[in-house]
Amino acid sequence: MNEVLKAVGNIFLKMPKGFVVTFKHLFKKPITLDYPRKKNPMTARYRGKHYLERYDDGTERCVCCGLCAAACPADAIYMEPEENEKGERRAKMYEINLLRCIFCGFCEEACPEEAIFLGQVYEFSEDNRNSFIVGKDDMLVPHPRKDNPLKRIYRRVRRVYGVTDKSK
Amino acid sequence: MAEATKKDMPTETAENMVTLTINGRETTVPKGTTVLQAAKELGVHIPTFCWHPKLKPVGACRMCYVEVEKMPKLQVSCALEVMDGMVVHTDSDTVKQGRKAIIEFILLNHPLDCPTCDKGGECDLQNLTFAHGVDDSRFEFQKYRFVDEGMTTTFDDRRIGPEIILNRNRCILCYKCVRANKEAFGEYDLGVYERGSIAEINAAPGEQVDNPFSGNLVEICPVGALTNSDWRYKIRVWLTSTTPSICNYTSSGINTLFFKENHHNKIYRVTSRPSDDIDDGWLPDVTRYGYQIVNSPDRLTTPLVKKEGKQVEATWEEALEIIGKRFGEIKERLGGVCVGALVSPGLDNASLHAASRLMRVGFKSNNIDFRGDYRYLPESSESPFMRLCSRPFKIADIDDSDVIVTFGSDLIREHANEYLRIRKAFNFGNARIFAVNPYQTKSADVSSLELVYLPGTEESVVNGICLAAIEDNLVDAKRGEKFKLKTPTKSSAEAAKVSGVDRESLRTVAEALAEGKKITFFTGEIITRSRQRDLIASALINLHRLFGLKGRAQMSALARYANSKGAEKLGLLPNPRTVVVDKLRGLWGEYPESPARNTDAMMALIKKEEIKGFLILGSNPVMLYPDREFVKEGIEKLDFLVVADLFETETTELADVVLPLASWAEYEGYYVNLEGRTQKAARAVKPIGQAKPGYEIASLIGEALDPEMFQNEQQIHSEVRQLLELDSVIAYPDDFLEVKADTDGSQGDYNLPLYIIDDWHHSGHLTEKAPSLANFASEPYIEIPPQLASELKIAHGDSVRVESEVGKVILPARISEHTQNNVVLVPRNFSSSNVTSLLMRKKRVDRVKISKVDE
Amino acid sequence: MFYSPVITNAAEVASHKDLHLFKYVEDPKQHEIGTYQAHGGYKAWKKVLNGMTADQVTEEVKKSGLRGRGGAGFPTGMKWGFVPKASPKPRYLCCNADESEPGTCKDRVLMERDPHGVIEGMAIAAYAIGCHLMFIYIRGEFNHCRERMEQAMNEAYQHGHLGKNIHGSGYDLEMIVHTGGGAYICGEETALLNSVEGERGMSRMRPPFPAIEGLYACPTIVNNVESLASVPHIINRGADWYGSLGTEKSKGTKIFSLSGHVKRPGNYEVEMGFNLKKLIYDPAYGNGMLEDKKLKGVIPGGASTPFLTPDMIDVGLDYESLQTVGSMLGSGAVIVFNEDACIVWVIKKLIHFFRHESCGKCTPCREGTSWLEQMINRIESGEGQPGDIEKIEDVCGNILGRTICPLGDAAVMPIQSAIKHWRDEWQYHIDQKQCMVKTNFDFK
Repeated sequence: MNEVLKAVGNIFLKMPKGFVVTFKHLFKKPITLDYPRKKNPMTARYRGKHYLERYDDGTERCVCCGLCAAACPADAIYMEPEENEKGERRAKMYEINLLRCIFCGFCEEACPEEAIFLGQVYEFSEDNRNSFIVGKDDMLVPHPRKDNPLKRIYRRVRRVYGVTDKSK
Repeated sequence: MAEATKKDMPTETAENMVTLTINGRETTVPKGTTVLQAAKELGVHIPTFCWHPKLKPVGACRMCYVEVEKMPKLQVSCALEVMDGMVVHTDSDTVKQGRKAIIEFILLNHPLDCPTCDKGGECDLQNLTFAHGVDDSRFEFQKYRFVDEGMTTTFDDRRIGPEIILNRNRCILCYKCVRANKEAFGEYDLGVYERGSIAEINAAPGEQVDNPFSGNLVEICPVGALTNSDWRYKIRVWLTSTTPSICNYTSSGINTLFFKENHHNKIYRVTSRPSDDIDDGWLPDVTRYGYQIVNSPDRLTTPLVKKEGKQVEATWEEALEIIGKRFGEIKERLGGVCVGALVSPGLDNASLHAASRLMRVGFKSNNIDFRGDYRYLPESSESPFMRLCSRPFKIADIDDSDVIVTFGSDLIREHANEYLRIRKAFNFGNARIFAVNPYQTKSADVSSLELVYLPGTEESVVNGICLAAIEDNLVDAKRGEKFKLKTPTKSSAEAAKVSGVDRESLRTVAEALAEGKKITFFTGEIITRSRQRDLIASALINLHRLFGLKGRAQMSALARYANSKGAEKLGLLPNPRTVVVDKLRGLWGEYPESPARNTDAMMALIKKEEIKGFLILGSNPVMLYPDREFVKEGIEKLDFLVVADLFETETTELADVVLPLASWAEYEGYYVNLEGRTQKAARAVKPIGQAKPGYEIASLIGEALDPEMFQNEQQIHSEVRQLLELDSVIAYPDDFLEVKADTDGSQGDYNLPLYIIDDWHHSGHLTEKAPSLANFASEPYIEIPPQLASELKIAHGDSVRVESEVGKVILPARISEHTQNNVVLVPRNFSSSNVTSLLMRKKRVDRVKISKVDE
Repeated sequence: MFYSPVITNAAEVASHKDLHLFKYVEDPKQHEIGTYQAHGGYKAWKKVLNGMTADQVTEEVKKSGLRGRGGAGFPTGMKWGFVPKASPKPRYLCCNADESEPGTCKDRVLMERDPHGVIEGMAIAAYAIGCHLMFIYIRGEFNHCRERMEQAMNEAYQHGHLGKNIHGSGYDLEMIVHTGGGAYICGEETALLNSVEGERGMSRMRPPFPAIEGLYACPTIVNNVESLASVPHIINRGADWYGSLGTEKSKGTKIFSLSGHVKRPGNYEVEMGFNLKKLIYDPAYGNGMLEDKKLKGVIPGGASTPFLTPDMIDVGLDYESLQTVGSMLGSGAVIVFNEDACIVWVIKKLIHFFRHESCGKCTPCREGTSWLEQMINRIESGEGQPGDIEKIEDVCGNILGRTICPLGDAAVMPIQSAIKHWRDEWQYHIDQKQCMVKTNFDFK
């Protein structure tokens, strides 16, 4: 009987005691993520895949000055300038080799026209090496752009005035 | 100025030297030196914007401030002459503050568009701001902007010439471009307009900046205010590397620098590599933009072989096999003397020598020449003209000459670099300059007197000068008597009548020649192209003797092409001088005894079907030889023709095998300029496609003929070196030469003299492939003097029918600004012009008649 | 013909024993050669031609102590002496009649009313330096002066005072009347020479000085109209007489152009060292302040010289005395301001002039004047920022003494002195965004 009681006691007293952590976690928010279906929001300063900004009227900001390429420690950027119909300088070709890129963000720092940014995108696996060389068309933000203009302004403000990220 | 002043100094004696202290270091420099130059020699860097070593100082930018003890204000060192005991500080706090203020002032209205500016990376303002400026501006107002009419943005790039793009907002008004244009080039198409803070550099109203030296303006601009389409938005300067080279279009061997990018195997631009002995850092446009042919997409990249009447692409092996077989056949059947070669004087020494060896050892033939565009060439290398050619000449000696005579030369078109030297002598020295030409030339703007003689009376002019001197007792009377025996002209008045130059002018030249202490006398292409060049040269040698110019004059016939002088020295002539022949015999162990033929004779023999096989390296005789029909008929009769060239030309069309030739930028080569100075053009890029340099082609052909003919490069170079060491100067004869009278009567209806020239921006047959040069001129034209045009009611741009006894072409007219007398000029550089079909090789002066084409 | 209605003290001069330049300017026929000769004209020229060597003339002028009246006050005779004697090049004389200094109108009166006096002076100077071709460079706006000078020149040719073999002396002299295009900078001697040559009117680097290498790289002397007009009188009456006039170092007489808030603005010829206060208040001259308001400040030598405050004006008008109170004699244009004038507004007008007239050669002047103008305009319109005054002072310091010609200095010296004397007014402008002085007198 004693043994029975002991066993019952084990079941009803010790097991819950042992499971208390498990049960506690049942009601907590999970730490892991259901990754492909859900995605972790990156911090605002995350340095992911590059994108090229446009002016509000849709013209490209990049003037192909070559400073990003000069600043790049991995020599991952290649560009060729050309003259557009107005006689202004524009990029004919702008390529980043993502395999070489070390995502240091120097290009963003160097850019005098605020054209190149390192974005939030971190998923860019490919099945062949050539696809890692991304061109201007892949990087330019669409026009008219879909994202919230307020967000854009916030990004500019953060960049220009160095506002610290509150989400951390 | 200091350059010139320095030269004027008799010797660097103690009283001409000044001792001063710069930053605590003592230095002794000649009097008249500026503080800036003295500091430069000491290795003390003083920043400048408006100073240029070859221009007079203006002191406009005020960047070169120095502090001089006992002087209350800051001094501009570029214009401050050194004084004994001067104590100069270039780095004191006052100086630093002054420089900082200047940078601040300059940046007030300077746009910060460095990212789009082509000068970014090599900009003086960027560098000096970095070194001396502050990083923030105190200027809180709108920057002043030039906005063109009809433009809404401040983006202000306007084309002020075919090549030059001006951005007035970037201009910092150092006035360097305007000064260089005026002082160094004698051009007035660029000027300063308005004043004060809205002063602007601009092209003269209604004019374009299209002078033949305009590219230099871009190079000397310290900021990106003047840029050219050649370099516009192509590449950043820090991505390029440089290779020293020389110009392949002019005979001066102007030193240049290629800016190239290795990954693309492409040259992006040419800038100067200042050399005081040769070019002073100025490049004519043909030198600056002529490199573009190297990058041209039309280049020949593979050999072409004629199969069933059509040229098809082939490999080198195939091509060489055919060459070996066909040349071998001709050699076996008829002997090597039935093969001839024409080599371009634009090729390097090694190529020339390899070709010479191929002909003389491989074929045992003396039929080789490098002069593809002259008629009735002298057979002997000791003819009066060749003697004149061989005389020593130094470009730098033009600077301090007191008498300069240019004879028969449209100088800017032929020897642009020497023209700039003469301008320098005009600006900084007190030279008396004479231009003697059959028509008025633009280059004569610096001359104190321009003598315009009737076409084809060159020897009368020379005799007239001599006779005027004898008559007025300016020369030794005894020599005068001897001279008179050899000339058919009896008096200077007679000579004046024949030549159409008034006696007074002849006398003025004679006087200058008799008095001159340091004389420069040279002849140009009009003499070299003349059929009677030996006669004229004899007259000139007589003049040299009569005036006793030995020791006080340099007198020469200038070479025209990049390596003409080298070809002459290496014996690329049918009959080289005995020393050269002996040397070659020594080097090779053999030398052909067969008769030697020059280009004319070879062409005649081809027509007679005595020469069956022919090799052309880089030349285009069909386009350039002054009798198109004669050459074309001849070449069509050939059994076998091999042509190597950069592009498909009129001559390659007729060839059985076409070989792609590498350009001068694609291999290391040595060239001899007109002074006899050997200079290196380093390899900037890899040859395009399968193109090969000339020496390799010659060696490969030799190998295909006879595998034992193989020559390695070192061997060629050592032979070239030994040949160049030989003394090339041929002495003048001991007595006066006979000068026969030669009349050149008018030819019935055809009475308008025609001269074939190079366009202002072109040289030879290749430059039309350079896009920048084509921007200046891409179409053939005929230059007509204004009064003739008004007589015939021809306006600018009208089509004109030009007829000679043998040919007829229709060309658009250009009313010449410079030629006032009855002569028409046609450029030879455009393949579409067909101009050589008007010429006859027998003529001394080609004459045509022109009429307006009625629509 | 146009006759500029400028008040002069000709009546006083006519009766005065020493004053000479304005003796006959009120005579309406003085510009005609007959009247001029009747008044003793061309006597000095004949005297020079028949009996004086060039060196004697130079020596005489040197002894008289005549100094350049254009502004710099360089001894005229000494300048003539700088012409190299041995040089084989031709020499030139340029009379600088490009009178564009704001407030100055003395040369205009001389050229309009006594053109022969100028020509005679030029001829004597030409003789002294051995030149055979002389120019007079007249300001582009002075069309009537050009007409008068041309007429006078033709008359002088007709009467044989100019041309070949003048009065049988074997001396040839030709004259050219040249007009400018209307640029202040062309009054600077090297810019004037550039302009005569047909180049852009921009000053040249010195050395070489024009006396060594000037017009067409030949020795050239450039003298002011007033200096040259004094020369015949020196020759006629002797260097000792001229030397007895004026102060110890500033000899002779000088014409002062009095303008601004005075009752009687005009041109007054007085002896050097004349008291400035007397010039303003004496009934024969300025006759006191307009509407008897209080005096605020005086510019004693044209727009380019520093201001004088009321406590400084008891000073002799000569080169040295003015220097001791921190200003300059300049061209002798005395501009008087009363208490109604806002100093910021005055400076705004001045800097606008100098910005507009800067030739664009030297960076500090070209960029600095336009920056100063923008800053001063901003203060004047009430949008001044704290720190602007210091910035203006700093920019002025960066221009002063850093340019080739004195235009840069001329532009900043009045600003510096205005800030020095009336700093509170500037500050008030910035702080209160309005003038300290309530009414702006409009200059007529």
